[in-house]
Order: sequence, then structure tokens, then C-alpha cells
Amino acid sequence: MTLVRIDNRLIHGQIIETWLPYTGAEVVVVANDELSKDALQQEIMSLAIPHSVTSVFVGIDDLSAKIEFLVSQNSGSVIILFSNCSDAKKAYDRGFCFASLNIGNVHYSPGKKQISPSVALSDDDEHCLKVLSRKGVELDFRCVPNDPVQVRF
Amino acid sequence: MTVSEKKKARQIGVVIVTHGDFGQSLLEAGTSVLGPQENCVAVGVDVEKGVDETMESIRKAIRSVDEGRGVLALTDLFGGSPTTMSLSLMKSEKLEVITGVNLPMLVAAIQGRAMDLEPLAEKVRVAGTQGIKVAGAMLRKRTKK
Repeated sequence: MTLVRIDNRLIHGQIIETWLPYTGAEVVVVANDELSKDALQQEIMSLAIPHSVTSVFVGIDDLSAKIEFLVSQNSGSVIILFSNCSDAKKAYDRGFCFASLNIGNVHYSPGKKQISPSVALSDDDEHCLKVLSRKGVELDFRCVPNDPVQVRF
Repeated sequence: MTVSEKKKARQIGVVIVTHGDFGQSLLEAGTSVLGPQENCVAVGVDVEKGVDETMESIRKAIRSVDEGRGVLALTDLFGGSPTTMSLSLMKSEKLEVITGVNLPMLVAAIQGRAMDLEPLAEKVRVAGTQGIKVAGAMLRKRTKK
């Protein structure tokens, strides 16, 4: 397992240009209920992914089984993307366990607390991350790989 | 229809969609070469804003420049969110999306706005790649002779 990340943009420039080469991942798993049902949006998102990298789109409930399958296939390093904090917590609660969670982009909206240039958290976001942190998940607030690692909780 | 509207042929709209202020600056560079342009705008994608909000500002920009013949979206990075968001709007708008925007592409787009959308897109793609030269080497080759 290489990288579990929260990014409200899911697959985009930062993933393709920095995290893919940094992790050497061969599979990108997008765990998102909406996208898992939208074939056109899946095509758009995976259009610019290098040919050597496979993209997989699954609903949150199916993530754990999908990862088990990928691991059994020895699929190499994997990047798993969630679009928000509650999806990450939901996946964890449903049995997809991870030791470290990268919080990349969580966009600002009124009522949220800006905790870094790319991350703004609502009370609910904060709650989700605190619960994960208490369960032993290490929180890593980096937008791109060469950002300094800052653990804020 | 008034006389002035009859005279003016409808043109393809141009929207530059990029990370940050790159598109706005590129548009300023383009208009400094070709003069002020109608229905040619830039949208900067602010990473700190939500996807829905940004999509809406791109959609608005596209509709504001569409004279009925379609719109060319010039985006920066293939795979970046300005590109994927523009692609998502192809469902609802008459739109072509070209990535890798540079000044030669913008110039070609502005100059070819009377063309149809599809051939214009190809013209812009060619202009973009042909605009890249190792000009110093070309000059050295010439001055050696």
C-alpha cells in the first residue's frame, strides 16, 4: 500500500505529475460513490493517466474487497483517493484499514477552518480525522510530496 | 436584426482555463499582439475553491462568449483540473477542449475565429507545436553558413 489520500479533485495534475512518479504506483483507485456510477466522468478523469498505470473506480462500500483483490494479484503500489474526510472514515469503518492518511486538498467554504493553504476543515471533517487519529492512523498534511510533513492533530 | 449585427459575422468564442492567473496574463499578452478581442475571456482555477463552484464559473465564462457557433476552451495541463472540468462541460455546451495552451495557440485561435470549431481546433493544435523552436540553434546554423 503506498498512499491513501483525501483530495477533493481526486485525479488531477498534482496526482499525475507528482504523486504517481513519487510513489511509483501502478494502480490508482478512486473511491467515490458518485464517480463509480458515472462512466463518462471516469473516462475524463483517467484520460491523462500514463498507459502503464491502471485506474479503478469503486464505491466506498466496495473498496475493501477491491483492495483485497488487488493485493492478491500483486498489483504493486497503489494510490487510493477519497474526495472528502467522511468517505475516508466510512471506508475505515467498513474494514478498509490504513496506517497513514495523506490530506491533500480539502477546499474552503464558509464555516470551515483553514488549517493549511490547501486544507480547510469543517467540524465534521475535524471529527472524522480525530477519530481516525485516535485509532492510530497517522495524518500527513501534504499537498505535494516535497511539502514538509506536518502533523496537526 | 440591426444593420451592425448583420455586418458582423458570428465568431467562435474563446475561453482560456488555467491554474491561477496564467490564463489572464496570457490573454493580456495575446491582446497586446492582436489588439482587444470580443468574447475572449480567461478563467483561473483557484485550488482553494470547491469543484462545483469552479465548474460554475467555467460554465458561465463559456456561455458568456458563445455566439452560437461554439466555444474553444484552451487549457494548460492535460490531466489537470482546468482540463478535466472543461471536458465535463462538453456534455452540455458546444465546446472543444485543447490542452497545452501557449501564445502561438491563442494567436491562432483569435485569428481563426471565423472558422468552424473542429478545423479551428486542429489549426490551433498545429500552431501550438509549430511555435516551439530551439531558435538559438536555428540562428547558429544560419550564421555558420
